[in-house]
Amino acid sequence: MSEWFAACSAGLRLQARQFGKARVIICLTVVEALTFLFLVSLFGLTGSKAPTAIIMQDHGALAQSFVTDLRNDHHSFRLEVMGATEAKQLLDRGDLVAIITIPADFSSTVRSGHTAAISVAVDNVDADLTDDIQRAVPAAIETFGVQHHFGGIRVAPAEHDLIGHDTAYIPYLVVSALALDALVVAGALAATAMAGEWENRTLVQWRLAPASMTGVLIGKLITVVAVSTVAVWMAALLVFFGYGVHPHSLPGALSALVLCTVIFAAIGACVGNLLRKTLPVATLFFGLALPLYIDSGSLEPERFDGGWLWFVAHLTPVYAAVGVLQSAINGLKVTPEPVAVDLGILLLWAVAAVAVAHSILQRARRAQ
Amino acid sequence: MRSIRTLTRIDLSVWRRTPWVVAAALVPPLGMAVLVAMLTVAVSRQPVALVVQDHSPQAEAMADIIRSDTDTYALQQTSLAGARTLLARQQVCAIIVIPKGFGRDLASANAKLDLTLNNIDYDFSDDIRRSISRSVSEYDAPQLGVALARSGTSATVPNPYRVDIDEHDLRQTNVDFLHYQVVPVLLLLIINVGMLSSAVMASRDRERGTDRVLTLAPVSPMARIAGRLVAGMAVTFGVLIPTTAILVWTHQIAPPGGHWLAVFGILALTTLFSVSLGIFLGSSIKRSSTVALSGVIVASYLFFLGGGFTTIAFLPNWLRDVSQIVPTRYAIDSLRQALFYPTLLGVVHNLIVVGGFALLTLGASVLMVRKVAR
Repeated sequence: MSEWFAACSAGLRLQARQFGKARVIICLTVVEALTFLFLVSLFGLTGSKAPTAIIMQDHGALAQSFVTDLRNDHHSFRLEVMGATEAKQLLDRGDLVAIITIPADFSSTVRSGHTAAISVAVDNVDADLTDDIQRAVPAAIETFGVQHHFGGIRVAPAEHDLIGHDTAYIPYLVVSALALDALVVAGALAATAMAGEWENRTLVQWRLAPASMTGVLIGKLITVVAVSTVAVWMAALLVFFGYGVHPHSLPGALSALVLCTVIFAAIGACVGNLLRKTLPVATLFFGLALPLYIDSGSLEPERFDGGWLWFVAHLTPVYAAVGVLQSAINGLKVTPEPVAVDLGILLLWAVAAVAVAHSILQRARRAQ
Repeated sequence: MRSIRTLTRIDLSVWRRTPWVVAAALVPPLGMAVLVAMLTVAVSRQPVALVVQDHSPQAEAMADIIRSDTDTYALQQTSLAGARTLLARQQVCAIIVIPKGFGRDLASANAKLDLTLNNIDYDFSDDIRRSISRSVSEYDAPQLGVALARSGTSATVPNPYRVDIDEHDLRQTNVDFLHYQVVPVLLLLIINVGMLSSAVMASRDRERGTDRVLTLAPVSPMARIAGRLVAGMAVTFGVLIPTTAILVWTHQIAPPGGHWLAVFGILALTTLFSVSLGIFLGSSIKRSSTVALSGVIVASYLFFLGGGFTTIAFLPNWLRDVSQIVPTRYAIDSLRQALFYPTLLGVVHNLIVVGGFALLTLGASVLMVRKVAR
């Protein structure tokens, strides 16, 4: 047993020394992780608050009230009051999604019980954006009518929310992105570490050394996990302080992230042993992170996307990782499975990934 | 010319022996393509349970309005108990109930449409909220439900909400999400293959020390860059042409007649820019694994800040200012214009900008190769 620990300690020191010589790679991996967070935030920004110009040709109380309803309309618009010429220029330049014009007789028409027409110019650049505007404007009109108790309105919605608070989109997205950060950082570092052994042909020395191969592998992975944990925790700190996300359970969140780095480091070791080249590692992990991000409940609970995508999501640990992280940080239950089950699945993945990485090495040893 | 041809041949022969470099460069665009396909499913319709507890004609009319909004809801009509089970299992994200007595309450202008919402995040919750408000308003003011679809109609139709919509669409076309996002994915393919493959080739020279041999050879830095540029462009076109052909064949891209030249121009200039950037990156960094990692990061920023997968107008002012100096923004804008819109408005300007960026990067690469040679 002491020999095993000696091998493990040697593997740990070996990897620490290799990382010491490859500080640029580590820095770039951290940058890659932060880049992922940033990019996800950019995507989140396009989900709501469409930049919209409002041209006020009427300044009456009812016109102001309608504009307030537009402003409060389910995060639909980022309204800016401006003149017609400027608005047209900005719309043509792609800086606005729509222009809403409140006509000069809006208040008087509405007050007299008649119907005023607001002009809506839409940059129907793609169907998704256009649909959002086409839903949002009638929703604001509905609120306006109900608020002023106009006669003839017979139906109103009555909403009951399952959760006492709404979670903003970007805080939701960035928490899920932390799981993928763990994949990119731990996976890429572990894969590079193992592929480097093949590329530099130092794996032969593992075979010749009178030491446990498992011990050396575990030692290397411990170093990878330690470095990755620091990087992922840095990203988590950015989420907590930079994005203002207050974790529901800080120890739970940090532990879940450590567990993620363990799993992804083990998976990275498997990938490194299979690829045996360091060069494709970065592109592979970043490329994999993109579809895995979407198919893991990162934008909304995965179950909402239908049975087939939900089934596929179960084939990777990211689904369970997002479930655990959303529960620990935002206090949300995003998988139909209980969080304890997600946690159990993550542990199983960790054990299985280490076992597979070890068996690949053993096979390689026998082949040599 | 002879030295350029020789250097191009050398690079191409190295490519043939290391096809996995190109394969690695293909992973991010493939990942992005899968992401876009999945996102098309995720951002479109939301699973909602509809429970109709009232059997009056008015309740049926309300249910019909909800059923007809097929862009928003993937409806499952069921009992209240069934709907609650579906909600608990996350098989639906909301339950809409047309309650008993809906028809009676309607007569006293007091009818309610119950919405129980799993409000996990703003994005889809707000989609449902907007849609339910629209459905409700459509009951008393049918024109609000389809109002924005009746583009061009300027007549005001009276309704109890006292506000009507007169919509003017800026463009003739309305492109769906999948087709709209195919454009940036195609450009990501060019950026990745062009930049990463050239960068790896350039750094390989430094890593193996073959750049010293080239320095001693009677070949100017310009010729070295030109040889690498031609090889890099040939490899990128080798991937791009079949991909574009497949996209055209499957009708994923179908530019209006007379726009093909502009499309080719954009793709060629983006390739020139990407390969030049790759040569610059590869000449600046020695280790190929470091080059690959930095290349992925640079490609990500070029893609996202250029408006791939994001809409520039939604970004904060400072990011919009930053995107002004991102060449891919002009490439993505002009490719969308050329593919989706009847005119080539602004395309020439954008082509000049992308070409300018390509020349600047090429100049920087020449300087870097000279510096390394010294």
